[in-house]
Parts: sequence; structure tokens; C-alpha cells
Amino acid sequence: MKQVIQIQNVIKRFGDRAVLNGINFNIHEGETLVIMGGSGCGKSTLLRNIIGLMRPEEGRIMIFGKDMASAPDEERNQIRKSFGMLFQGSALFNSLTVGENVALPLKEHTQLDEQIIKIIVKVKLELVGLTGFEGLKPYEISGGMKKRVALARAIALDPKIVFYDEPGAGLDPITASVIDHLIMDLSKKLKMTSVVVTHEMKSAFRIADRMVMLHQGRVIAEGTAEDIRNSTNPYVHQFIHGEMDGPDHFQKTRDDYLKGIFGNV
Amino acid sequence: MLTKINSFFGSLGKTFRDCMGELSRIRKLMEEFFYWGIIAPFTGKRGIGRENFARQLTFMGNESLFIVFLVSTSIGAVLALQAAYQLKQFGALLYTGALVSVSMARELGPVVTAIVIAGRVGAAITAELGTMKVQEEVDALTTMGIPPISFLIVPRMLAIIVMLPVLTCLSFAVGIFGGFLVGSLCLGIDANLYMKASFDALVAKDILTGLAKSFVFAALIGVIATHTGLSVKGGADGVGKATTQSVVASIISVIVADGFCTAIFFYVF
Repeated sequence: MKQVIQIQNVIKRFGDRAVLNGINFNIHEGETLVIMGGSGCGKSTLLRNIIGLMRPEEGRIMIFGKDMASAPDEERNQIRKSFGMLFQGSALFNSLTVGENVALPLKEHTQLDEQIIKIIVKVKLELVGLTGFEGLKPYEISGGMKKRVALARAIALDPKIVFYDEPGAGLDPITASVIDHLIMDLSKKLKMTSVVVTHEMKSAFRIADRMVMLHQGRVIAEGTAEDIRNSTNPYVHQFIHGEMDGPDHFQKTRDDYLKGIFGNV
Repeated sequence: MLTKINSFFGSLGKTFRDCMGELSRIRKLMEEFFYWGIIAPFTGKRGIGRENFARQLTFMGNESLFIVFLVSTSIGAVLALQAAYQLKQFGALLYTGALVSVSMARELGPVVTAIVIAGRVGAAITAELGTMKVQEEVDALTTMGIPPISFLIVPRMLAIIVMLPVLTCLSFAVGIFGGFLVGSLCLGIDANLYMKASFDALVAKDILTGLAKSFVFAALIGVIATHTGLSVKGGADGVGKATTQSVVASIISVIVADGFCTAIFFYVF
């Protein structure tokens, strides 16, 4: 299967702390890959490195054969036209209407006529189930609708890859499920590769063709949903079952508390 | 004692390093502004975003008119009253108009307008950009392959550089009108004589001095407001702090720059 993204030995440090510590994996064309892991494991940092909001200290991030990590700004902007991104908080522009938000990448990157852009915007909004909402401002619609508008904006230029950062965050379970189905539906209909960063297990297992699990800046498991479910790695087991006890333990003994407060006295 | 000296020099070094870092970020912002605002439009790489520019012109110009008119008329009127208070002791009440017009053109018009715009427009720019930064809207632009400096900063900087001199001219005009109202209605100076004295005292250099100052102030307010907005970290708290910082820094810079500009025009030109 053709690989659209290759992540090779990516290292990202903040000060002395390596948040990404030698990440390696590939993303195949047309698949939905879920990157998961606990809070602070480096999954959002990895995503920011892939989309070029940060540069890693070491390693290569090849998107369609071009290295996002070392490309100059102008080339990175060219690479960015081949993908869309759905931000955790939607990141819609409040000064623009829903329609103008979706039209923005089209106006900026194409020479299309105003009328054609209007039609494309209608089609994209129809795809996410928001026909007729063009004239509203983002603050006039609900959180779930904002996510759908952001999704319509992400697919405005018919990208080959779409990145999703915590698509279900802050949504009720039903709306989160609607968004998950939308991701699956659009990936199939538009033949897109989807890369989803999440820590919500239900959603992850629902949408993933493959999964990558990060822990302390490293990939600790990679495979299909079934592979991950049957993983013998104790941390993976603890994470997907949401257990308190395991390699990462949060329960403290009386001595641990005392040690934490007074040190080793 | 040695520890205290060490700590003093340590904090001094850190402050110096922070200042250098800040200056380097401002230099980078300016470089990018010149590229996207001046070079890119002429080389056909990317326009200045006419729609956005027009929106900013309306916000900065049209919507600031009332407040600039109100403040400038008041300043002109107060200046006429204060000048008359001294001038009448020498029987030189007629020179009130001359004093008001020259002061408004060279000093008060540009400074007062810049302070009003720093408070109204500078604060709005910082708060808007800061909010966009914390809500990942700036990142969204970058991800869409749209350079944020070109999309967000260029229209705002160009609009303030165009609008502040325009508002300064209007402020100068209504300031003279404020002085005229006081001079003719309260001080009993003949209306025609007042206007004649006002315009006879003015030379082109006075107006050009005021306009040159307003360009400098516009650039200062623009750079401070946009840089502070894009540097916001954290949430609502960060936006609030940055907005206050932006207004305070803009007003101080305007007053200090006014001192420098006045000295330069006085000694050099």
C-alpha cells in the first residue's frame, strides 16, 4: 500500500525534556489512523510537528515525499495545500460567517469565480449536514455544528489527507458519535486519508483502520484495532481499559504521601 | 553579599536577554510585514487582502470619527480658554487663534489623535489577535497555507498608517473649530479676525510636521499592538494582560517619540 506520510526518527525537545523521543511510523493512503495516548504523551506535539506548526530537532516527516521538517516556509505552505486540519476548538474565524469560513481557503488558493465558490461552499456544508447555515456567525451555532463547519472548511480544497485533533472533545456522546460517523463517511466518500489524534477509546475503536499508541514520547504499540485490543503491553492494556492500577499508577500509599510532602526524612 | 551581587547580575542578564529576544521578534515581524505588505503585492505573489483592508479602514477611520471629533473639539476649546487667560494680560487676546491653530497642527492634533487611537484601535487589535492566537485561529491560518502576517497584520498595519494621518488632519480642523467657538462666542473676539489670525500664523511646515509625527505614531502603535497580540500566551488572562500592556506601551512610545520628533524638527529642519 502506498505510504502518504512517513515519520522517521522524530525527536522534539522542550528545554532538556524530549517530548517526542524517536518516533517512527508510516501512514498509508486511504486509511484512518488513530494516534492515541494519555495526556502529555506527546500526541498533540507530534500532530503540530506533522502539520508544520513546529519543527522537530531531529528526524524527517515526509508528506507525499516532501520533508515537512526541513522544508522552507514557502514549500511548507505548498505542502499544506494537500491536507486539511480540524482543530480541537474548531478554530473558526469569528469575524467571518460560516459560509465565509468555508470559502476562505478557496478564495485564498484558487482563482475561482465568486459564484462557483458559493456553490462549492454549499456542497461542502451539505456534506457535513449544515445546508442553509452559510449566513450565521460561528458564535450563533453549537459546539457540534462548529466542528462540522470546521470539517467543511478542512475539506474545502479536496485534500488528500485530513488531520483531526480530538474531534470529540467537549461534545456530548451523541454529537461525538455523529462527528465520528462523519469522519468515516467523508473518508470513504472522498477517498481521504484520515489521521485522528484522540484519547477517547470508544471513538478510537469505532473509526480506526490502524492505531498507533504513544507513551512518554515513543510508539509503544502499532497495529489494527484488534491488534491493540489484544496487546500484551501492560500500559496499552491499562490505557484502553481505563484502569487506575498498572504501569502508570495513581494510587498512593500513606508512605508515598508523606514522602511527597516532607521528602526523604 | 557575593550571592546578592551574583543574583543582581543574573537578573540583569536575564532582563537583557529577554529584551534582546523581544527586539529580535519585533525585527522579524517588521521584515515579514515589509515582505508581505510591500514586496509580495508588487511581485504578484500575494495581494494585501483588499476586503480585509477596507474593513480595517472603516473600523479605524469611520468608527473613530466621533471620539476624535469630541476630544479634539474639547482640546481646542480648552486651549483657547487657557491661552486667553494669559494673553489678555498683555492685551494680545487676538493671538488666541494663532496659538490654538499652531499647537493643534504641530503638537496636540497628532498626539491626542494617536493616544485616542492607541486606546481604541491598538487595544482592539491586540485583543482580537490575542484571542485568535489562544483559540488556534492563527494556527488554522498557517495550516491552510495562508501566512498570518499577510492575512492579519498587513491590512491592520496599512490601515492604521493610512488612517491616523487622516484622522490627525480632521482633529486639527475640529480643534481649530473648538477654539473658534470659544474665541468668538465666549471671549468676544470677532469671528473673521479669529479665523484670519488662526490661518495667518500657520505655515506649511507646521502641518507637515504634524503629519510626519502621525506617520511615526501610526507605525509605533501598529507594531506594538500587532506584536503584543501575536505574543499572547495562555487564555483570557493572557489576552487581558497583553491588551493593557499594548495600550500602556503605545501611549508611552507616542509621548517619547513626540519628544524626539519635536527635537528633530526644531533643530534639524
